[in-house]
Parts: sequence; C-alpha cells; structure tokens
Amino acid sequence: MSQITEDDRLLIEAAQADPARFVDVYERYVDRVYVFVSRRAENRAVAEDITSQVFARALAGIGQFEWRGLPVAAWLFRIASNTLADHWRERSREAHDAPPDVPDAGELENIERRLTLYQHVERLPDLQRQVIRMRFVEEKSIREVAAALERSEGAVKQLQLRALENLRKSMGGHG
Amino acid sequence: MAERDLADRLDETIDAIVARSDATAALRDRDLAALARIAADLRHYPRPDFKSRLRAQLEWRTNMTAASTMTTGASATAIREGFTTVTPYIRVAAAGLVDFLVQVFDAQETFSGRGGGGGMHREVRVADSMIMVGEGEAAGGGGVMPVSPVAFHVFVKDVDATFTRALAAGAASLGEPADRPYGERSGFVADPFGNHWYIATPRPRGEAEVARGPESVASALRTVTPFLHATGAAEYDEFLQRALGAVEEMRRDEGGQLRYARLRIGDGAVELGEGEPMPGSFLLYVADPDAMYQQALAAGATSIMPVTDQPYGRIGGVADPLGNRWFFSRPIQG
Repeated sequence: MSQITEDDRLLIEAAQADPARFVDVYERYVDRVYVFVSRRAENRAVAEDITSQVFARALAGIGQFEWRGLPVAAWLFRIASNTLADHWRERSREAHDAPPDVPDAGELENIERRLTLYQHVERLPDLQRQVIRMRFVEEKSIREVAAALERSEGAVKQLQLRALENLRKSMGGHG
Repeated sequence: MAERDLADRLDETIDAIVARSDATAALRDRDLAALARIAADLRHYPRPDFKSRLRAQLEWRTNMTAASTMTTGASATAIREGFTTVTPYIRVAAAGLVDFLVQVFDAQETFSGRGGGGGMHREVRVADSMIMVGEGEAAGGGGVMPVSPVAFHVFVKDVDATFTRALAAGAASLGEPADRPYGERSGFVADPFGNHWYIATPRPRGEAEVARGPESVASALRTVTPFLHATGAAEYDEFLQRALGAVEEMRRDEGGQLRYARLRIGDGAVELGEGEPMPGSFLLYVADPDAMYQQALAAGATSIMPVTDQPYGRIGGVADPLGNRWFFSRPIQG
C-alpha cells in the first residue's frame, strides 16, 4: 500500500503542476471507476457518461486536492459517488436517494475481479471475443451475430459457450 | 447432446441478462450457474473505444485548462457576453421568424439592425440560449449563409401548451406531444419557414423505461440546442471531433449504427442523429479563429470565407461535408 500511495502522490503532484499530466491519473484509474459506476448505472451509456463526468470533475478539482495519504482511488470513488447521486436527483427518481457508499473491501475485491475478467476477454481467441462483444456490448441476438460472422446459430452458441467456459477457467478461484 | 443443451440454456440466460430481465433461474442450474455469473459480470463490459474516447475528451479538457490558466481567462472573454461558444444563425427569406419565436417560446429580441448585405440581422434570447436570425436572401454575406431550414431541440416547462401555441402561430405538426422512452414528453413542429423544433419537457420515467435506455439529455443542455441530422452520423461525429474539437459526451448506438450523440463544443453543444441532413449555419466564438479555420480545413471542410478582420471582429468560415456552415469568430473586445 505504501508504494501505491507514493505513486499516487507523484501522479497528483505532476497533474497539479501540469494539467496535461492528469491523463496519467486517468489511465491508471479509469477502469476501476468505470466498474464501480457501471454496477450502479442503469445502462452502459449512462455508465460511460458518468465516468466521463467523474474525471472532468476530478480535473477541475485537482488544484484543490490536498494530499492526506489516502489512495487517489478513494478520492475518485467519492467523486463518482457524488456524481451518481446528482444523476439520480436529475432523473427525479426518488428524493431520498443518498450517495452510494464508496467501495468497501468486499466491493474493491469485486471491482478487481471484474477488471481481471475484462482482461481475460481481451485474450480470448478472436472469434470468441467477437461473439462476446457482439452479444454483450452491441446487444445483438444470436441470429444477428450468426449473420455477421456468416456462421450458423448453433455454431455461434457453441462459440459463446466455449468463450464463457474459457473465461471461467481463466478466472479460476475468482470466478 | 448435453453440451448442446447447455449452449442453448446459456444463450437463453444471456438473452435475459442483456434484456435486464430475470436470469436468476440459471443460478439454480448446477451446470449453468458459474457461467451465468460470468455472463452477468460481462453485462457492463466496456465498448472497445470507450477508453480512447474518454481520454480524447480529457486531453481536450486539460488543454483548455492549461490555456485558461496561461491566459487568465482570455478564452472566456472571446465569447460575447450572454452567448455560448455555439450560436445558430437561421437565415430566412422574409421577416416573421422572430415573431414566431416570441409567440411560441417567449423569446426576447436583444438586437435588431441592418446587416452588411442589406437584410436585417436580429438576435433573440430564449431563456438561456441565443439565436441569430438573418432576414433576406442577400443579407450578411450573400450566399455565405443561404436560406436553409434547421432543426432544434427545445426544452420548455409545458410541452403541450407550447405545442398548441406553435400550431396557433402557423407551425405544422410533425408529431403530437407524447411520452417518449428517453425520458421526455415531446412534440415536433415545423415553423412557417420550415425549421424543425423538437419541443420537450423532461419527465420522470418508470423503472422499466430506465432499464431500456438513456434518460433525457435535458440536464446537460441549454434551452435551445441545434440538432444536426446526418446520413452516416458516426462518420460525421468523428468529423466534428476532428474539425471543431467537439467532445462526444453521450452516444447511443443501435444495431451497430450511431443513433444519437451529444457533442460539446466549448461551453456550447449540438446534438446529432441519423437522418436526412438539414444543413444550417453556426457561429462559433473561439479564441483563435485562424487556428480553428485551419483545423477544420485539415479535417476535410472547405473554405467559404477566409479569416479576415471585420468591424465586429475577426471571422472566417467553412462548409462541412453535409453542408453545415461553421463560422469562427473572435469578437472585438472592450
């Protein structure tokens, strides 16, 4: 943890001296923030929109950030929590919606698990990865995927099954 | 055979997960449960270009932050007071549009004067938004800003009342007010000059609607926002980012095609959707019109007005591949 916080300190100081360096903060934490937000957003577009707002707010507030030794992730999760609460208020969902809690140890572990899963997707054989993207990201039906890949629906279902089984094996005890 | 059955059961479970319906039955299926949990975690798997797009937005923001720090607010003073970066300029052949805007949207005229080409140049405010209107074919630069109807998204307190006023003022209905799945109650009209007005009031949505798609964009927009139609909207979206430094803030794809995007340009915004183009003219207040002009040309725009000093400021303009015309201006300060 001490190494992480020291790296964080250097990242923040560099970004405070030169806003262009804030991109380094983004690169390090965007995946975690996205995973945190996506569990609470109603769909992918909203999750992406809110993640974008989190980093815009963080950039705007970088000058006022005071180093207190807490991980930068905790600061970003707090901004994400407030941004989600603003989103819910704007959506007029329920007046008593309070900001979600920043992740506890259990959720942090869950976030890391999902990041690992996403990394494993990138390592899947090309066809299996394409099926995953089309089914989950583009939300295509099996028929549409089959047409796009010029394969039978049965073959695509088998590719889908193999992809999920590969991911389960790759995740090992984390699945 | 069992393998094949498992593939079918998994596929049904994924259908349910993607549709946000109940997929918990899979957890009671011994063979399927672990795969279903993986599938549930994949529901928010990010789009491949998600990170790169956000990074591009952030780099633009960091550049703006650095520029404003260095110039102590010079970029802000490049915008005329009360305006945003993007101001639509509606060219109409004859008078009457301003009256329509006053009658329907409670617009207030803030300026009226003879334009450089002999026609009238008028400016109106609709709540927090400014619109410029040029009356007469030859006004303000001849064919540089031709008469061409454009489209707008307008947020009002009561869409039904505003829609009724629009019809009374001579507009034609393009769609009666109705509750839309994207969190708005909206009705659509064409004014007597052919401009389209997508009149909307945000509304709370039920849980089922929330699950189906994005909410109204009202909270991120001003009262009046130009709505650009494009054939090949995804490609045009990329062009706007390259040419104008637009930042895509929201995007909705359907069937692999861009259906809707919200793009921020400075502190203004435009919306973009797939459809037959209705090219218009837009004035962009920028700190460096020469640089923006060159950037737009490099992105594939064509020059319609080289950057020159005018009595009201420095200005140049380009036409984009869809016929929209963008004028980059730095007004005289002081």
